This record gives sequence, structure tokens and C-alpha cells, in this order.
Amino acid sequence: MKITVILRLEPVLTEELELTNDARDVDREWIGLDMNQFDDQALEQAILIKEQTGAEVVAIAIEDEGTDRMLKTALARGADTARLIPMDEYDVESRSSRAMAPIYAMAIRELEPDMVLVGVLSNADIYGELAPYLAAHLGWPQASAISQVTLGTGQVTLRQEYAGGRSARLALQLPAIAGLQTAAQPPRYVAGSKLRDLLKVQIPELNIEAVPGADLAEATTLALPDMSGAAEMIDGDAQEIANAIHALLEEKGFV
Amino acid sequence: MQTLLLWIVTLATLVVFAWRFGTRLQPLFSARPVNRLDRPGERFSGMLGDIGLHRRMLRFTYSGVLHAMIFSSFLVLFTAIIESFGSVLFPGFTLAPVGGETWIAILQETFALLILVGLGMAAYQRLIRKPARFEGSRKGDAILIYVLATGIVASMLLEFASAIAITGTPNPYRPVSSLLAALLGQVGVDGHAAETLHMSFYWAHVLIILGFLAYIPGSKHRHMFLAAPNIFLRPLHPKGQLPAVPTLEDEKTPSGIQSFSDFTWKDLLDPLTCTECGRCQSVCPAYAAGTPLSPKKLIMDLRDGMSTGEAHLPIVGGVISEDVLWSCTTCRACMEVCPVHIEHVPKIVEMRRTMVEAGTLEPMLQDALTSFQSQGNSFGKPAKQRARWIKGLSFKPVDARNQPVDVLWFVGDFASFDARAQELTRMVAELLHQAGVDFGILYDGERNSGNDVRRAGDEGLFELLAQQNIDTLAGCEFNRIMTTDPHSLNALKSEYPALGADYDVVHYSELLLDLISAGKLTPKQGAAAQVTYHDPCYLGRYNGGFDAPRDLIAALGHDLREMPRNRKNSFCCGAGGGRIWMDDSAFHERPSENRIKEALALGDVSYFVVSCPKDVVMYTAAIQNLGVEDRISVRDLAELVTESLE
Repeated sequence: MKITVILRLEPVLTEELELTNDARDVDREWIGLDMNQFDDQALEQAILIKEQTGAEVVAIAIEDEGTDRMLKTALARGADTARLIPMDEYDVESRSSRAMAPIYAMAIRELEPDMVLVGVLSNADIYGELAPYLAAHLGWPQASAISQVTLGTGQVTLRQEYAGGRSARLALQLPAIAGLQTAAQPPRYVAGSKLRDLLKVQIPELNIEAVPGADLAEATTLALPDMSGAAEMIDGDAQEIANAIHALLEEKGFV
Repeated sequence: MQTLLLWIVTLATLVVFAWRFGTRLQPLFSARPVNRLDRPGERFSGMLGDIGLHRRMLRFTYSGVLHAMIFSSFLVLFTAIIESFGSVLFPGFTLAPVGGETWIAILQETFALLILVGLGMAAYQRLIRKPARFEGSRKGDAILIYVLATGIVASMLLEFASAIAITGTPNPYRPVSSLLAALLGQVGVDGHAAETLHMSFYWAHVLIILGFLAYIPGSKHRHMFLAAPNIFLRPLHPKGQLPAVPTLEDEKTPSGIQSFSDFTWKDLLDPLTCTECGRCQSVCPAYAAGTPLSPKKLIMDLRDGMSTGEAHLPIVGGVISEDVLWSCTTCRACMEVCPVHIEHVPKIVEMRRTMVEAGTLEPMLQDALTSFQSQGNSFGKPAKQRARWIKGLSFKPVDARNQPVDVLWFVGDFASFDARAQELTRMVAELLHQAGVDFGILYDGERNSGNDVRRAGDEGLFELLAQQNIDTLAGCEFNRIMTTDPHSLNALKSEYPALGADYDVVHYSELLLDLISAGKLTPKQGAAAQVTYHDPCYLGRYNGGFDAPRDLIAALGHDLREMPRNRKNSFCCGAGGGRIWMDDSAFHERPSENRIKEALALGDVSYFVVSCPKDVVMYTAAIQNLGVEDRISVRDLAELVTESLE
């Protein structure tokens, strides 16, 4: 049994942001890239399956600033192999899920896994399009918002999350694709010693001859959210503030 | 007959003693190696100083004095023990030719009284005064020791007294015994009766001594035998340099602490030497904050775990709980105060390493360390933003990677990323600029120094961070490194040499003082304030930087009022050893708040002066939490200097 996990770097959006001059993207000058947290869950789930069933885990990523380090982290976490898909930043106009899907799909054909795990969404893909696009390219079944993965013979059982605490149990024929919402356990910590041991390891490349997909839509303008007026500051001494909070809670029906 | 009997009981006791001691020392022989026999001269003289002058003991005056009384008396009264055993084991043996009945006798009489006073003081301390540091120590053991020691001395005096009572002639060299003999005479004990009594007291005396000897190996009184070697074998490497992971030659990856044999033999000698005096506990910020850590109990638990062979319990997370290990701030106060030089902190770090390797981390610490792995800092900020603090400076600092500089400023994480600390970082930059210092920074080439990462237990991550910094520094030309952060200072000065990098590292307090002395900065006099100063652990206790900050404060014309806990006895702010990244909501009282209360108790002190970016953050928060902003405020040294120039 072989599992491929797709790992994506994305801009760290928790820090101060600036937009580019044309206001169509985040200015990457001061910004750092970090592993998409849903992909992190997908990786953890893959490792958990490996620990339970002995499956082989291959982590793949498309080249960007820091991909090498991210793939080494995946090896340190327990992935059996990692493959870097070379990509010159000047060769691609867009790294949207639609643009990258043909490349990932070709890589998956090459690797021939039984199961593909990927984060359900990312900052750059807030609608969770990657898993469905891959399914379309490969002609495989897929399901998104998954919180449990049980691999069987020839099929996989998935738990799909819905609003309000409901969930569905789905059985998919293998090979299949799952967009992971959350792993069965939080991502584990990898001691620096494991990373250090991998310092000199060369991550093998996976050369893909595929044409990126064309975006159907493009951002015309981005704007930072207007935060003014969103909060009301309550002034006064402790007693007055407490009274005001109490009045608000009463008004909303919380007390 | 007497001789044969004494030989039998003495030899039997020695066998029991050796067996009891041997079983306790046994684990040391299968432990990991560590070289503690280098620089024997320095080891020996330090040991003599600590024992002969009671240097560390006397820091706690009452117990220091009483221990000195008991210890010195023991040395003198050992002559009586030699006489008692020697005269019977080897008939004809006597100390009389060397003064056993003259000057030695009068010494014995004097010190017998002295030791009784000492024992009384000890009992008073243990039973009536009950200092908090004894909390958790075994009281029964201590009391039994007092009883046995008193029994030895009393039986000795009564043995002498009954010997005098046989003839009824007082011995001028034995005034105490003579007095007792007179009392015996008054109750009609003389002649034959006195002889019988003498025999009884003799046997009581030797039997109590032998009982004491047999008891010692299982008692904290083992320190009679182990304190001297443990002090001799103390660490002599720089205080700020943690020992590397102990690895055997044929070992690829260290196992961590899975069994007691994974410790070094010195790690196992320490617990056996512990006297349960609790001085470590009394100075520990984690204990004062109400965390489950007491350095004393940690050592006692290791000792008990190792001697009872609690094989069913893991050491990390069993014998010593994870909470206990995460509570330590690595401030070193415990090690500095321990009279027998026990090394608590390296053991705690070694056990933390075991937890980190296993991936069981305090949750907030895991977030911070993950952030170090991806961004090289604990703030989760992109490395590119490290030098963002320079926005708003009147000039652009030189990039030391492109241009030779005199002073390379290693800025550090807090000084670079924390909003409050950034203001001070800019102040330092302006001061250096104003004084014409040729300095530069590493911009996004700098990584966290790894000091606290190492102490949090992630050895590999420390090496990664350190190596990145060492590589970056290797590409720069500079004469010395300056930092405002004592934690970075410690790593650069004390830790990096072990990785083959050697720098001249100064704290900004030294550099600012130099600039003022050289007339490059001229503070205005007259704006004097009453201030107090907090010694950061990693500047003071670890690297001896006590004077420069004080001289600087004086040069600015301020009146420094010392807190009771100052210099070596400084009280940690609670942020060290990775604690700054962990949850402190379970603390009864944060160490930083405890410290602010100490400063407030001085009375008229308006500034709480600090010299560490973490302290700025910790104490500003503490003052806010206590709601005492109107009484005291935090001032960094850079602020004091800047204010005095305006």
C-alpha cells in the first residue's frame, strides 16, 4: 500500500501583510512561507496509517522558497521518501490549484499510489479545489473535509465532516483522493536531532513534463479587511465596565 | 576476650557498612563515563576551601555555624574514637605519647561541649524553627542522627568520667569529665562500681559508633563520606556550557534517559551525596511559584529511584514527572547554593532531551520550537522580518555580512521582534551611532542563538541554529560581538566554543560603560533617581557580569539600592530555560511578581533597572499585573543612558 501526500508552502498570513502595487496579490518581500496546516494534518494522517498498516508514504511538493526544508521535515516526521518537483518561479504565472493540478496529477501517475492525501484547503485555495481537480484529471473518486481514514483492501473508508457535528461514512474504491480536514492526532513534534541528521540528505527530484492549467478567474483587486468599527471599547472604572458587559450579555440573552 | 569481641563486632559492622554502601554505589559502575579528574590541583584547592572554610555553608549563617561546630568537633573527637578502638583492638596502643592525655584531652573536652551545643542548635532548627527548606526532607533520619551523635559524645564523656571516678582524682586536662566524675562520686559511684560503669560506658560508646557506621549508608549522613569527593569532582567547564549528550563510542543515536545507566556516574553520585538541606529548594523560583519542581525532591527522587531499583517505572515521566522537568527555568540558583556542588540543571536538561526526542512536549513549547524549525525564531515571524525594527532609525545600520565592522551586534529574538523590546533596540542603535561606534548587524542572516532551545531540551535544533549563526559569522569581519541579550551572550560566549567557534563577546552594559568612560557619550549629572537593579541569570550567575551594569548606573548619577537577593543570589524572572514559551497559568505567584514585591519592599525606589530584553517584557507585565505602575517602573540600561543624554 502506497500513500502520496501533497505538501504546499503558503504565505504566513498571521503577521503584518502588505499588498503588491497592483493590489492583486500579497507582497512577498517581507513575508515568510510555511507548510499549509491542512497539508500538515494530511501528512500526520499518512504517518499514522503507516504506523498502523506499514504503508509506504511518499511526500511531494512543487519547488518554492523552503520546499527542501519542508520535505526534510516530512522525512523526519516519518515519510519514507520525498520528491521535489522542480519549478522555476519565473516560469509560472499562477500557483493556483487549477494551474498546478496537471503537474500534481502527472506526478501521481508516475508514483502510482493507492491513496492521495492532501489538505482540504489552503490560504490560496479557500474553496478546497485541489482534491476535486486531481480527481478530474486522474478519473479517481475523491472526498473532501475528511477527518478519519481507514484503508482496507481495494477500498478506503472515510469520515466526512458536516456542519453541526454531523458526519458521513463513505467508502471509496482505491485508488482515491482525500482532502484532509484533520488527522486522528495533532501533528507530532520532530526533535531537531532528526532534522540535523537529514541536513546533508539530497531530496530527489521528480521531473514532470506537464503544462500548468489556465486559471478561469483572476483576482482583480485585493483589499485588507476594514477593521474599524468592529469593536466597541468600553471606558470607565472596573465597576462601570462590569456593568456595561453585564448589560450587553443580558441584551444578547447569554445571562 | 574484650579484644576478640571488639574485633568480631567491628569487622561485622564494617562488612555491613561496606555492603550497604556498595549496593548504593553499584549503579555508578554501569553508568556513562565523564572525565572529572582534569585539573586536580584546582579541584583539590577548591574542595579544601569549601570544606575547610565552609564557604558555601556559611551563606546560611545559623546552619553554617552549627555545621562548622559539629564538623570541627567531629574531626577532634575522631582522636577519641581512634583511642577507644585502638586501645582494645591493639592492646598497648595509646595516644598518650603524642599528648592523648594532655593537650588532645583538653581539646576533646572542649569540642565535646561544642558539638553538644551544635547538636542542640541543629535540633532546635529542625524541630522548632522549621525553615521551609526542610519541607520534604526526612525528619526521622535527621533526628536519629542527632540522637546517635549525642549518644556517642555522652557515652564518651561518661566513659572518661567513670575512669576518673575509679581513683577519684580529678584530671586537670579533663575538666568536664572530672566534673561528671565528681557527680558520680556524690551518688556513690567509685572504686569497683566505677570500673564496672567504665566498662559499660566504653561498650556503649563503641557500640553506638558502630551502629552509627552501619546506619550511615542509608542516611543523608552519607555525605560524611561523599561530600568531599563530590566537591572534588565538581564541573570546572564554563558555567554557561551544558554538557553534550553523553554518547558511547559504539552508539549512533543516544538513547536518552531510559534507565539509570544512561546517566553519567557523576549524575548518580550527586543524589547519593545530597544532604536534604533544602537550600536549593529555598532559592528555586519554580518552587516559589508553586510548581511541582523542588530541586531537592528531584534529587531525592532520583536517589530513591536508583537505590530501590524502581524498574517498573520509567525515569522520565515516572520517577520524575514531566511537569517537574518542564518547570525549571535553568537559572542555576540551586547549583550555586548547593554546599556539595550537586548539578541539578544538566540532569533536568538531559531528561528534557529524552522527552523532546520522544516528541512529548509542553504544548506551547511545541509551537515555539516548531516555529524555530521553520522560521529560526520563536515569534513565528518570517526570518525576513528580523531586521524590521530598524524602521524609524535616523540611519541605516551596516550589513555586517557585506562590510567589515569593529562591533558586530548580535541582536537576538526578543530585541528584534518584541514590540516593547524593539523600542530599546532602536535606542541602543542610536546610542552606538551617536558615539561613533563602527557596528553592523546580520539582518535576516541571524537566527536565534539557541541558548534556550538547548535548555528546553532540543539539542539537534540548537546545533542547527548555532551552526547557521556560526556559518554566517564566519563570512563576516569583526573584532568583537555585542549583544543586549544575556541568553545570546551565553550561547555565543560559552556554548559556541564547544562547536569550534570562539568570539570576544561583550554585553551592551560593558560597551556603554566604555563609551561613557572614553567620553564618547556624556551623561548629564543631576537627574539622580533611587533605583534598584536586577541581575539577569545568564549575565550574572552564568557569566559573572555583575559590575558593569552597576558601574553604569553609578556613572549616570543614580543611587543604587540593592535588593536582598542580588548578584549570585539574584532571583530569576521566570523566563529562562524555555519557560518563556510555556504556560505559566498554574503558577501561584509568578517569579517576576515575587521579584517586583522585593523591589517595592525597599521603599523609595522609582526604577527597576534591567539589562535583558526578556526582563523588560517580564517585569513590565509583572508591574501591570500587580497594579503598581504608579510606584515603580521598568527601565532598561539603554533607556537610562538615553534619558541622561537628553
